[in-house]
Amino acid sequence: MKTSAVFSAVLSLLTLASARSSTTSSSGSSSRADLPSTFTPPQVFKNANLVHVISAEKNYIKETINVVIENIDKAAQDEYYLPFTADQVSRLGGVEVKDRKDASAGLFAAEVVEFDPTSDTQYLRIQLPTPLKSGAQQTLGITYYLLKAYKPLPASIKQEESQFLTFSFSAYCPSVYTTSKQKTEVKFSSANVPDYTKLPGSGDIKQFPQKQGSKLTYGPFDEKPAGAVEPVQVRFEFTKPVTHVSHLERDIEVSHWGGNVAFEERYTLYHRGANLSSLFNRVKWAQSAYYSPSTSALKEIKFPLRVGSVDPYYTDVIGNVSTSRFRSNKREALLEIKPRYPIFGGWKYPFTIGWNSDAKNFLRKLSGDSYILNVPFLEGPKQPEGVEYEEVQVRVILPEGAENIKYYTTIPALSITDAEVKVHKTFLDTIGRGALVIKARNLVDDFRERELIVSYDVPFMASIRKPLIVFGSAMVLFVSTWILGSVNLKF
Amino acid sequence: MDSSLHEVWQAASGGLFVPTVGKDSHFAVGFSLVVVGVFLTFVFALNRSFANLAVIGVPASLALAVGVVYMFCAVGVYV
Repeated sequence: MKTSAVFSAVLSLLTLASARSSTTSSSGSSSRADLPSTFTPPQVFKNANLVHVISAEKNYIKETINVVIENIDKAAQDEYYLPFTADQVSRLGGVEVKDRKDASAGLFAAEVVEFDPTSDTQYLRIQLPTPLKSGAQQTLGITYYLLKAYKPLPASIKQEESQFLTFSFSAYCPSVYTTSKQKTEVKFSSANVPDYTKLPGSGDIKQFPQKQGSKLTYGPFDEKPAGAVEPVQVRFEFTKPVTHVSHLERDIEVSHWGGNVAFEERYTLYHRGANLSSLFNRVKWAQSAYYSPSTSALKEIKFPLRVGSVDPYYTDVIGNVSTSRFRSNKREALLEIKPRYPIFGGWKYPFTIGWNSDAKNFLRKLSGDSYILNVPFLEGPKQPEGVEYEEVQVRVILPEGAENIKYYTTIPALSITDAEVKVHKTFLDTIGRGALVIKARNLVDDFRERELIVSYDVPFMASIRKPLIVFGSAMVLFVSTWILGSVNLKF
Repeated sequence: MDSSLHEVWQAASGGLFVPTVGKDSHFAVGFSLVVVGVFLTFVFALNRSFANLAVIGVPASLALAVGVVYMFCAVGVYV
């Protein structure tokens, strides 16, 4: 009887402990899953006027939603929700929200809220800096990017043919609130838009969209309820490469002894455009160089580096690639590289570039043993068609012995997925260097030159660690020589 | 993330980092020190004594220590 009572008490304690640990792990596993699965955004806002601008001019989609929101609730509200599909969320990046009429308000906090990971609808929660009073209005400017947005149609083309891409979206801007008035504009890089979904017009306009040059306009539409969508598709000419960097590793190595900051970038680049329908024909390719027809192949990549960049190099899996040019003077430092082969749709090209720069261009000394470094987070190609980055890993390798490492970046916080300090060992290192590793997703070349600021301390003894190690080794050699030389081997 | 770092960077505008030895002088300084270190090592080898450990060994080690670091930098391995 006594034994069974003790057993049942232990069992109940174990059950309690396991329940508590499972609760802890579920809440700690994802800070984003903080809403119940039955969550629906409260209907506290109304979109008084909304203009949705979709830019398909580059090889990623840039969407801008300018919306006048009105609080229709009795209480003040500070959370505005924007819906996305689960597929869109995985390709979403560079979200920035600001007040269109008050630039001093800065950027608003925005985060993806996963209330139910299995649901196809996910929400972006925008936190207004000050709660909007009942009946008051505020103009939001919401900007974000969608990667891997296009599908080529036809999927395969001849080497000399033009490339056409398709893009699907909703003519009504997806919203969880009632929208009184709205229109959607789609901009292309070319006026050749052979196919697009037509919708019945309203008012004086018989049919949507209206086409003006390289721009299509769906709307203005009258009041639409929350969740209203109208799927449409556009097909447009895009005679440029659809450059997609699936993985970029960017290393920034700071050397106090050398007074140098070394950069190295390793790209895994794909062309996501239309594949070739027949084998690559080098004769046709050589001929086309003389009458320069439009081609969707990637022939050249230009990297405008910071003035003062020196010692550039360009390699791939085979070795050094000699088809590059570096223009460096007081005004520019432009690295132009030609890949080993033209990159057509579906082709891959991994390559590496690197360069050096004086530390004084990026590094400043604070009081005592503290230093502050300011480098661009991204410094990739600047192409007319743009570049999209799916995964980016920036590694700032600091001098050996660096401690108290802090960082700040102007890259949108939603795109940063991870940041940690690791140890990196290289030449003449004993304990290894602190390396700040920041991982980001879904970035585009619009974020070139966004700042990454890193502050750190290097105590004096840590800063002379390298010569001290060599000094110690040499002294050991001298003492050993003296001791061995003093041994009397005579009998 | 520490958002105050932007102000810290702006405030440190006068504190440009200047290395002890400039890039152009790495080879000259590094090579000279290594030569001095090797020469002193030969001198020590000719007369190995406890006194010479301090008189020749220490300066030789110092010259080699700093020289090696700058020779690394001179060949493009910025340690």
